[in-house]
Amino acid sequence: MSTAELSGSTHHDHHEGSYLDGPPGFWSRIWQWATTVDHKKIGVMYLFAVMFMFFLGGVAALAVRLELLMPIRTETLADGSTVVTGQILSSILGATEMSSNEIYNRAFTLHGAIMVFMFIVPSIPASLGNFFLPIMIGAKDVAFPRLNLLSWYIYVFGSIFGVASILMGGVDTGWTFYTPYSLTTDADHWRVVLMVLAAFILGFSSILTGMNFIVTVHKLRAPGMGWFDMPLFIWALYATSIIQVLATPVIGITLLLLIFERVMKIGIFDPAMGGDPVLYQHFFWFYSHPVVYVMILPAMGIISEMLSIHCRKHIFGYRAIAFSSLGIAAVSFLVWGHHMFTAMGELAAMLFSALTFLVAIPTAIKVFNWIATLYKGSIAINTPMCYTLSFLFLFSIGGLTGLPLGALATDLHLHDSYFVVAHFHYVMMGGTVIAFIGGIHHWWPKMFGRMYNEKVGILGCAVVFVGFNVTFFTQFIMGTQGMPRRYATYVDEFHVWHVVSTIGSWLLFIGFVIHFLNFVHSLIAGPKAPPNPWGGLTLEWECESPPIEHNFHHEPIVKHGPYDFDTVVPPHCDPAEYPLPERPEPRA
Amino acid sequence: MMFTLASSNQNWLTRLIFRSEPASNAAVFTDALFMMIFWFSMFFFVLLMGLMIYWTIKYRRRPGVPAPVSPHHNTPLEIIWTVVPSSGLLVIFVLGFWGYMEKVTPVSGALELKVDAWKWGWNITYPNGAESPEAQPLSEGDWDFPIFYVPEDTPVSLRMSSQDVIHAFWIPAFRTKMDVYPNRYTGFTFHTPRLRADEFVTDTSGDEPRQIPGRDLWVFCAEYCGEEHSRMAATLRVVPRNVYEAKLESFMADVEPVELGRRLWATRCSACHSIDGSPGTGPTWKDSYGYEVILNDGTSLIRDANYMRESVYVPNAKIVAGYPANMPSFQGQINEQQFEGILAFMRSLSDRGPAPDANGNGENGNDNGNAPEPSDTTDGGEQ
Repeated sequence: MSTAELSGSTHHDHHEGSYLDGPPGFWSRIWQWATTVDHKKIGVMYLFAVMFMFFLGGVAALAVRLELLMPIRTETLADGSTVVTGQILSSILGATEMSSNEIYNRAFTLHGAIMVFMFIVPSIPASLGNFFLPIMIGAKDVAFPRLNLLSWYIYVFGSIFGVASILMGGVDTGWTFYTPYSLTTDADHWRVVLMVLAAFILGFSSILTGMNFIVTVHKLRAPGMGWFDMPLFIWALYATSIIQVLATPVIGITLLLLIFERVMKIGIFDPAMGGDPVLYQHFFWFYSHPVVYVMILPAMGIISEMLSIHCRKHIFGYRAIAFSSLGIAAVSFLVWGHHMFTAMGELAAMLFSALTFLVAIPTAIKVFNWIATLYKGSIAINTPMCYTLSFLFLFSIGGLTGLPLGALATDLHLHDSYFVVAHFHYVMMGGTVIAFIGGIHHWWPKMFGRMYNEKVGILGCAVVFVGFNVTFFTQFIMGTQGMPRRYATYVDEFHVWHVVSTIGSWLLFIGFVIHFLNFVHSLIAGPKAPPNPWGGLTLEWECESPPIEHNFHHEPIVKHGPYDFDTVVPPHCDPAEYPLPERPEPRA
Repeated sequence: MMFTLASSNQNWLTRLIFRSEPASNAAVFTDALFMMIFWFSMFFFVLLMGLMIYWTIKYRRRPGVPAPVSPHHNTPLEIIWTVVPSSGLLVIFVLGFWGYMEKVTPVSGALELKVDAWKWGWNITYPNGAESPEAQPLSEGDWDFPIFYVPEDTPVSLRMSSQDVIHAFWIPAFRTKMDVYPNRYTGFTFHTPRLRADEFVTDTSGDEPRQIPGRDLWVFCAEYCGEEHSRMAATLRVVPRNVYEAKLESFMADVEPVELGRRLWATRCSACHSIDGSPGTGPTWKDSYGYEVILNDGTSLIRDANYMRESVYVPNAKIVAGYPANMPSFQGQINEQQFEGILAFMRSLSDRGPAPDANGNGENGNDNGNAPEPSDTTDGGEQ
């Protein structure tokens, strides 16, 4: 390609020959992006696509919280007539056939389905993973670049089905599509089938990306990089990819059966035809539990990277963190039953409860290692670090509140309550989304070649952190007090908590708007980024900001570990600013 | 008893967390286990966050000053922080299983209640066949939900099944729920609390509201089941045994068909069908009997007794235009006598089908399905 030759000849200038450069002319550039096999361009396209889905899912979340600002009540006026209050969504949308409850049910289903299938599963692996996995192991691209482009188009294709279903009126099944409700609701319409088909198609994108990453990690590591010289983000993506390849086919089969059941009435899941609705739940969670680790493992990888670099200190317990990623991936396949403690016999419940506690151990080990990494570090207070600390705070709460859900006696109370809602938002949003936003800040200078405003970034992080806790901590309390999930209205006792939670959701929104404006400002007017603004030792900091099309001018040869801050001056950095410790020790 | 002790011991923290007192021994155990996990978690959380904040401040970056050399790992430390929390988890697992068995193991001699669930309501059938006709809202201005009476200080076991989709029967005060499925039974057990001397509830079943000893507990549906999922609730009312027995006797007493129908509407039908003409998930019952209606296949018919009967037992055979095919069948749930009551109640709500008078003659009933004469009065005929 001409760009590659160009970048090879002019690599003394940072910005000529960057992967972002393209041919003149708007349509030529569009065509170049649409047909690219460059993992960086595909990563960036994924980044914008998943952030757009995050926005759509976020709007649905704000709608859900808005409806819950008031309970639905019937008031009798002085003249004896009655008026229904609290139907906020239907009064905003005006004349519609749907009741507020129906709009609410569709809103939370859209929120869940978009956030899970179109945002959080592809989020980190497909965007930051695609961009940085090859660079961090010193490769020019992933092992199968065309397959990578195919998985992007499959993602787009699947998302179109999902959006089509929304435009046709949306579905009210919940993102879990539990039978027999999902078999009978909206019987006259194809919306449910379209949404299920969307999730089915998106699964292929996930499988292909996972396969690509596994082969890339096995075959394309730079000379000198052994398995234990890999950055922990790569270990996390590797473990994630294994889960994606092994678990996603199961959801594919399950969703296909659901479509067959709905369209052809074959009688697998529908009790009216002799089917078993619990079988569906087993199939569904056999994928959907491992997939929560697809969501959280890459986030853990990002945290390991950011923590080490912004503390300028070797990560504590490298091997323990790497192996705990694999351990979590392995045990994650054995705990699906804990979503169904209210639907299974005593023996199965006991076994799944025990296995659930087993998966808590490697997770706890990671948190201990991260906290220990702070000890005697040189800790920079910047946006990535603020997000890392926020992650540790929120993810610890999310993990610890998993304990009463894994214990059977307490789970019978908390199952399907707001406690569960709060728990998984602390893990998924407080964990994955927080790490993702932190990771975008961390790698922003590398991806786009411009710095963002640090003060605005820290402000945004603070607003998101406060807003998040106001929104979701209240939900723990509602849950233990007896508030069931997926309720459009509620008893008066929960009103105050719901009001606080809804105000928190607005704070969260403001926080994300601050980040969005900061990023837009950075793209337009941000100062140019140096190749290594944080002083990192992983390979992406050796290439330019933004990287050239083939990432490195020469194939890198790995001579030090990714976290050897004790012994190595980071590339492109002034040794005066990055002095080595006085008593350097040999690598352990 | 253990639970009365515990309930008087609720401190501000457990009140904030649980709001309701634990209403059974199993619930007391659950709360104790939850609080044990809470303090276990608090210990690690405060320790970790304390270290995080302290070290972040102490070791914040100073320009030009490198991080001092420190170990990359420490095997004894790593073993300790693996083994110590793991043994804590083992204890939590064992206690959790213990408390779970207490909730699900059937107790011999327990009062067995049959729970029926449908979109969207609950019904409980007592061992003598009685059903509660009483209803009350859980909050002012909300819908009426049925009141189920249980005697105090008695083991109760539930045998539950659903007529349509999956529901879940949750009584937060007992800290227990279980999914309710079509085509099979599930259930759980609880021991009702002994009432304290100062616990009263309002009984509105008589002509005048009166205070009776009792405690009201929330019942919620916890498994998403559609449009009115959030209004699939009930009250479980714990009362002294003599009140319970008097209630059961009164539930079995014969009532006028119209009153029987009104009671069944209040506990079973009111979630979807209004009686004042306001729109709902299903068609309103006001001025429906005897009136023509357009079906979703474009045909029309007069809603007579046969149509009403079919709509209760085979509800999706004919769907009124503009409504979803949402209603579960009440075959086996509503018997002949009860249906007569519902029919009488429906007719009392329509100016074209007044209830029969004392001689059994309707004024202008159209039971034979002939089209009625167009009525001159457009609304509000005497009933």
